[in-house]
Amino acid sequence: MANLQHIRRRIKSVKNIQKITNAMDMIARSRFNAAREALLSNLPYVAKTKEIMRRVVGQMRGREYEHPFLKTRDELIAEQKEADGKFLFIVIASDKGLAGSFSSNVFKEAHDTIEYDGTDTGESKGADDGDDENFHKKNFDALNAVKPIASRTQKQQRQVSATGGMARATGRSSGTSSTGANVSVAREYNDAAYIDGIELITVGRKATVHFQQRGYNIIKSYHGISERPQYKYAKEIADLVMERYAGGEIIDVTLIYTQFRSAISCVPDDVTLLPLVTDDFSKASENLKEEYIYEPDVMSILDEFLPRRIATRIYGAMLHSAASELSSRMNAMSNATDNAQELVGRLNLFYNKVRQAGITNEINEIVGGANALE
Amino acid sequence: MSTILLEVATPDKGEVFAKEINMLICRSIAGELGILPKHARLLTELVPHAMRIKMDGGETQLFIGGGFMEVTPEKITILADSAEMPDDIDVERAKSAYKRAEDRVNSAKNKGDAEIDLKRAEAALARAKARLLVKGVPIP
Repeated sequence: MANLQHIRRRIKSVKNIQKITNAMDMIARSRFNAAREALLSNLPYVAKTKEIMRRVVGQMRGREYEHPFLKTRDELIAEQKEADGKFLFIVIASDKGLAGSFSSNVFKEAHDTIEYDGTDTGESKGADDGDDENFHKKNFDALNAVKPIASRTQKQQRQVSATGGMARATGRSSGTSSTGANVSVAREYNDAAYIDGIELITVGRKATVHFQQRGYNIIKSYHGISERPQYKYAKEIADLVMERYAGGEIIDVTLIYTQFRSAISCVPDDVTLLPLVTDDFSKASENLKEEYIYEPDVMSILDEFLPRRIATRIYGAMLHSAASELSSRMNAMSNATDNAQELVGRLNLFYNKVRQAGITNEINEIVGGANALE
Repeated sequence: MSTILLEVATPDKGEVFAKEINMLICRSIAGELGILPKHARLLTELVPHAMRIKMDGGETQLFIGGGFMEVTPEKITILADSAEMPDDIDVERAKSAYKRAEDRVNSAKNKGDAEIDLKRAEAALARAKARLLVKGVPIP
């Protein structure tokens, strides 16, 4: 039997929690406005950079210039098969929790990409703008189709064995949800060769902790910048990535972040950052007749322009992620506040019932006592 | 008079400028350029400078802190690291930045070491100078 004091205490503590969640909601709301402002101011720049890159690079296709950052899809597939480099993933999540499923959605997407098994979950598709694609996933079929197992290169072996491992892991633990299988695959299968072939750069403490626990090789992590990204960090990441890429240590770079669509819709997204796959760029430039004039010359312009595009892309992704994180937190906290309100209502009702029952009891006793006296 | 659309975008302030103009005079790493409507396609890198924009109702200046410029016959797109209209420039700040940059350039030159520092200081100096130029303030 619940006593009155106990219930009173509970109501009090729920109210306190409600105050806290309400405060966090308001903090997230004001930071969100700033983050959205920053994102919106950045959008035209990113869009224009992309536009120019596609026009210029598309027009260049088939000509004699070769830049190490530019590849066709076939070239990339060949690289992924033959070259002995690593795959690098940049995962952008948050520093703090209490933002609903924000971080876990990113991790799900990340594991989905890193341990891709050929079946597309297709959740981030549909509303995609259709040109920033994840060639790490897309090339899977092409890589997988090369069947003769005896002549498999080490690289293929890695991708195939890891995904084979995934299939088995899912099969074995068919009772568990697919997400669980996804998350545990790296640890469960313990495929050292595959994990060796992967490097991660993490932004946000949550991401670092998550991947550290699962034994991934994190080459760099950034903490304390997820809510208010700064361009210099994006530049730093871009420089690091490009240096390793140019040195042949890594073959492709995939960026995993949360795309901010609206305050109620934030979708994890994965794009190939490097190399820039030029296959469909020609669309952007097909009605261009005359060639561009480059001052001073093509190579020096590209050497400056492409790194800028990469850094801009990372910065844009960070801004998207920041806005998404704060809007998720906002939603989570306003839901928590509402739930607390509901709980207080229910507890109040219960409290009144118990109190009433007590009073009724007392009256009964008094009446009973009076009757006994007569 | 025919016109050409000029768009200037920066990473943190969105579109700073988007208007039909008659002529743009700017400075690329290869030298000064004057761009009129129906210019041939061009892609170049800009240095920090004060850009001159001629349009209906006179000429304005715009500070550009380096970036890229793409020219098509109908449109000029400038991706600037930073861009400021004359009204947005803080003269006092630019002046003190100019002094600081000047000192840094001199000290870097005297010591003769750290080429990166010298380059940075020179870029900062160029930016401060351009800001003052846009504002029409005499350079100290």
